[in-house]
Amino acid sequence: MLVTIRKQLRNHPALIPLFFFIGGGTAMSMLYLARLGLRNPDVSWDRKNNPEPWNKLGPTDQYKFFAVSMDYSKLKKDRPDF
Amino acid sequence: MQARRDLPRSRAKMSETIQEKIKTYRTAPFDARFPNTNQTRNCYQNYLDFHRCNKALSSKGQDVAPCDWYQRVYKSLCPTSWVGKWDEQIENGNFPGKI
Repeated sequence: MLVTIRKQLRNHPALIPLFFFIGGGTAMSMLYLARLGLRNPDVSWDRKNNPEPWNKLGPTDQYKFFAVSMDYSKLKKDRPDF
Repeated sequence: MQARRDLPRSRAKMSETIQEKIKTYRTAPFDARFPNTNQTRNCYQNYLDFHRCNKALSSKGQDVAPCDWYQRVYKSLCPTSWVGKWDEQIENGNFPGKI
């Protein structure tokens, strides 16, 4: 199949940007899904050792890419101890 | 508000600031752990934290007043039917959360 692709590219070199864009798009989607699966504080892969991963966020941690009207330098409310 | 002389200084200060926060409470503040529209987990977490705080502080023999913060927050956030259901489950002993 790669041989076919290489022949087609040689005959029609204008197809190369297509590969870049589609490859880039695929890579970005996969990266975002990986970020969601591994870094999202709502996701817990191992419930025994990591039961409530959202509690690991400090009061100034920002998970969203773009927070419109939130100034993330607030103070933490009480948390006596557990 | 009088400072409590029986508590060690750091805990007295924390109790004081929490009392102030409880007195000037308007609504649940922004919580960075739950930044999105769906605040279900925020409600549940505060409910759990209230009961865990009560359990932890009363087992140490300390005053459970600071835990009222969590109660105010979950009362602001949670639907009353949920709170009623969970309270019933706690009374019956079959509450599914870890307290």
